[in-house]
Order: sequence, then structure tokens, then C-alpha cells
Amino acid sequence: MTKPLETAPGVRPRRLWSIRPRSDRESGDAVASNFALHWFPARSYRRSLDWSYSFWLGTVSAALFLLLILSGLPLMFLHIPSVERAYLSVKDIEYVVTFGSWIRAVHRLSAHLMVAVVFLHLVRVFLTGAYKNAHGRAQRREWNWVIGVAMLVITLFLSFTGYLLPWDQLAFWAVTVGTNIAASIPAIGPAVRELLIGGRNIDQPTLLRFYVLHIVFLPGLLGVLFAYHMWRVRKDGGLARADRLALAATKVEQPPSPTKTYSLLGIARGTGPTVRATTLVAPDELVNSVPDLVRRIAIVVLGTIASLSVLAVFVRSPLEEPANPLVTPNPAKAPWYFLWLQEIVTDTTFHIGSLTVNGAFLGGVLLPGALLVLLTLWPWLDRSPGGAAGRWFPRDRRFQNAVFLLFVLAVLLLTLIGTFCRGPYWHFYWPWESWPQVPSRI
Amino acid sequence: MSEKKQPNRRELLKTVGIGTGLVALGAQGGAALRSLVPNVSYDAPTTVKLGLPSEYPEGLKYLPDERLFVFREGRIFHAISAVCTHLGCTVRAEALSNPETKEVGGKTTRLTHRFLCPCHGSRYSGDGTNVAGPAPRPLSWYELSIAPDDGQLVVDLARPVERDFRLTVA
Repeated sequence: MTKPLETAPGVRPRRLWSIRPRSDRESGDAVASNFALHWFPARSYRRSLDWSYSFWLGTVSAALFLLLILSGLPLMFLHIPSVERAYLSVKDIEYVVTFGSWIRAVHRLSAHLMVAVVFLHLVRVFLTGAYKNAHGRAQRREWNWVIGVAMLVITLFLSFTGYLLPWDQLAFWAVTVGTNIAASIPAIGPAVRELLIGGRNIDQPTLLRFYVLHIVFLPGLLGVLFAYHMWRVRKDGGLARADRLALAATKVEQPPSPTKTYSLLGIARGTGPTVRATTLVAPDELVNSVPDLVRRIAIVVLGTIASLSVLAVFVRSPLEEPANPLVTPNPAKAPWYFLWLQEIVTDTTFHIGSLTVNGAFLGGVLLPGALLVLLTLWPWLDRSPGGAAGRWFPRDRRFQNAVFLLFVLAVLLLTLIGTFCRGPYWHFYWPWESWPQVPSRI
Repeated sequence: MSEKKQPNRRELLKTVGIGTGLVALGAQGGAALRSLVPNVSYDAPTTVKLGLPSEYPEGLKYLPDERLFVFREGRIFHAISAVCTHLGCTVRAEALSNPETKEVGGKTTRLTHRFLCPCHGSRYSGDGTNVAGPAPRPLSWYELSIAPDDGQLVVDLARPVERDFRLTVA
């Protein structure tokens, strides 16, 4: 009965959006006329949507970021960024506020998981060579890789700044160690630390600075980079896997079709100017974004939110004693995603004659800095052919993938050692060994 | 010919306009950053009174507020910082089962403790020498003095001293 609406020239179909479009045109309209979907293509390469190609890790990261904003808003109304009251307000959130501990658990778990998923996303992109421009027509995938590395660093800083806000022992000493690493840079180090913490000691200015970085500056920056990241994916022709289609395709002259018109995207009305198309692809390689792409995105985003909502019921967030600048906990551990760095700063102080290199600078600044620079520049150092892009474990990239995986394994191993095998005074203990009793205070 | 090379009025205004805008933008950014560098320190003063020397026990006393170990051997005092030189955690003192006597800074000193850092496992001997772990330097020694007004022990946490420093109380 709604049929006449579509046939009249110049009249838009009433229905703006449907998960079950009845025609290609309605499907195209569903993308073009919807604000939330306008950044998607009307049609998507079927194999780019495979669960087993990308594992949808980028979408999961975005869903976690969304969840962090959603759970962070109520926390902002409840947390008081003052050294006298921050700890008590977090204690209230945990024990007094209705649903407070659940919201806090969602926020904390999402943050931990986001660090892990963003890292896995980077590993996936590296292993599939997805920063490579396979056909090179208007592609700048290497810059999207750089944006991605920046977003990983921002994600880590977001977690680190959020760590201080409860103002408990864990928070205080993690930030002491973290900012002293910055202070170990020769010449400018102490000034950097002073700018970071707003003085010479970790105090009210530090809490306020980290608070503002955590709730405004870093999320805003991440949001802008996220938008650019997605725009770049569109401009580069979708996922790297779609490039193989363009490389393999031969141009096929399509017979003029009365149903294939420029009206598909609302460029023109009616069936007038038919598309004289040379298609690059077999039509069955492409699917309509509504519903195929949108359905999968909905599954991933809603599934992530649902899983975390359930998980947060069972996992409680820790809250240690209030911050005490006078007593360092034993052992004092950084958050798990920085434990590999804590392992490195422990092991990298060395002496050559009278010259001493502080492990804090070598292991905490130089080494991770060099790794980061190498990671950022890798697309320009990778000389493998474009055909290696968009596939898992291609023969041409076997060596660099193996080296990359070795680095990943080393980081994971150091993280595991730091998490499970370090006891009082940072001595090594196997996980099944019990720690000796040490006095908690002197 | 020469007219072409001279910038005309429009180009000059354009250059000046864009330049002014960029300078203003840079000034905004610079001012925002500079405003975050503190001009006044509200930190605790570095010169602190530590109580009368007679209140100190023989051997070691830890002062958590100053993160300082004060040692007493009869009438002789010296003070060692409890701040690890690696990344600033507070080291803990552990009493030695066999105290040793050693020359420190040319003066015979009884060493009763060693110091361990909980953060990255640095170890220091009783005179603050770094012996193991990532610590790059020995623990600092600080100047002790006697307040002229009430005779209390005073430490200056901004003034590290050599290891031959000892305060002898009359």
C-alpha cells in the first residue's frame, strides 16, 4: 500500500529508516538520510564484514569508549576532585550510592578492557598489513596507522589519569612512580614533572590537573581523532581487505539497467539518467550496508555493553587505604598495562665506570619512546608488496610479523611477571610461592 | 616591471592580517601553557625542626613526615633521606642481625640497618650506598643543625651534604 510513495518523481519515501529495506534504493536512503549512519558507505564489501578477519576489535574499542562516557557522566556528578574529599566520595560511590558500585565497576572494567582491545586492534592491523595502500588511488592508510598509534597512547594516558582520581594508596604511588619517570629526562625532566603535577609534590594541583585531563582534554582529543580515524577509513576505501577486490577486478561493461539509476543515493530523481556502468566487482561481493553492516555493528556494540553490564555485577572494584604520602605500599605496583615498563625500569640501570645511566630514563623514557617511534614509522619501513595487505599471515610479511609478535610476546611476558611474580621489595616469587611476612609500616 | 615585484596593498594587508591572527593564536596557546607553571610553591618548608636531640634514641629513628632517617651515636648525629634515588618511593629500614662498624666519610660509623625499596627492589647499605637494584645514586645525606632559639634539631632538606658530615651535640 505504500508503493505509490516511491514511484512519484521528486517525492521522497516517507520511511526514513528501516532495518529491512525493501529495495536497494530504500537501503541507500536508509544510509544517506540518517544522521547516525551518514558516514557509512551505501554498500559494503561482503568479506570485510567477516567476523574472523577483523574480529571487530575497532568497533569493540569504540563501543567501550561510548560505555566509558555513559558510565563516566554519573561518576562526574558524584566524584569530588579534592584531596580531602576525593577518597570519601569514591567510598560513597562504592558503598552508599544506589548502583554506585556497579557504575564504577562498569567504568573501571571498560577502561581496563579498552586498553587491551585497542592494543589487540593494533596487533590485528599490523599482522594483516592493513596500513598498506594496496592500489594507492587516493589512499593514505599509513596516516591512519599514525592516528591509531596516537589513540593507543591517549587511551593509556586516559587510564593513567583516571587511576589517580580515587586518591588511594594505589593511586598515589602509581602516580609518584609515573611522574618521576618523566622527571628522569635529562635537563627538562624536572620542569616536565612540575608542569604535570603542578608543583614539586603530588597534591591538590595534581589531582585537579589529572581530573581535567581525564574528563575533558583527553576524551575530547580521542573523540576528534576517532572521527578522523573513521573518515580516513572511508576515504581509503574501507578495510584493507577491500583493496584486494580492486586489485583483482577487471572492468566489466554492464548493460544499461532501468533500475540502476543515480537516484539510488538521491542524486537524481526518478529513473531518468541510467548509470552506464563499468563495474569493478561482481555484484554478489557487495552487500547493502543496511542491513548487513548495521546489523553487525548493532550486535557488536550492544553485545559489548550487555557483556560488561553483566561482568560488572560480579567483579568488584578495589579501593585501597586513603593516599598516604608517608608510607609506600610493599610491593608498590603500577597498573597492569604499565607493569612491563616497571619491569624494564627495574632492570635497566647500569654503570660504565663512573657513568651511571638511570633505569628510569633508559627503561622508562628512551626504550618505550624508541619503540613508539619505530611503531609509528613502520608503514614507511615496510617494503612488502601491496598485495600483502588485508590478509592474515601473508608469505611476504612472514619475517616482520614474526619479529612483531616476538615484541608483543616480550611485553606480555614482562606484564605477567610483574603481575604474578613480584612480591615485597620487588623480589621474584613464583605465583604458588607465599610471600614472607614484612611489616606494613616501619 | 618593478611594480610587479612590489607587494600591492591587498597582499600586504592579507599577509599582515594572517600573521596577526597566527601570532594571536600562538600567544593564546603560550599563555594557556605558561599559566599552568606555578609561580608560588605552597609546599611544606624544607627547613624543619625535629625535636630536642635528647628525645632521640641511640641508633636510628625514622621521621615519616620528612621521609628522613636520623642516626644517633652518643652525641653524634647524621641524617639520611628515605627517598629512593630511582623513582622516589620511600625506602624501608631493616635492622641488621650483625651491625658492622665502617669508615664513612673518614669517620668511624656504626651501621645498624640496611634500606630496601618496595617499588623496584633497590638496596642500600647502612650509609646509603646503593648496592643492588636500579638505584643510580646513594641516598642523600642532609645537613643537621641546632636551632639557636630552643635547641631543637633542625634539618635542611634542600641542602644535601657530603658523607663526612656529622653534628656533634654538646
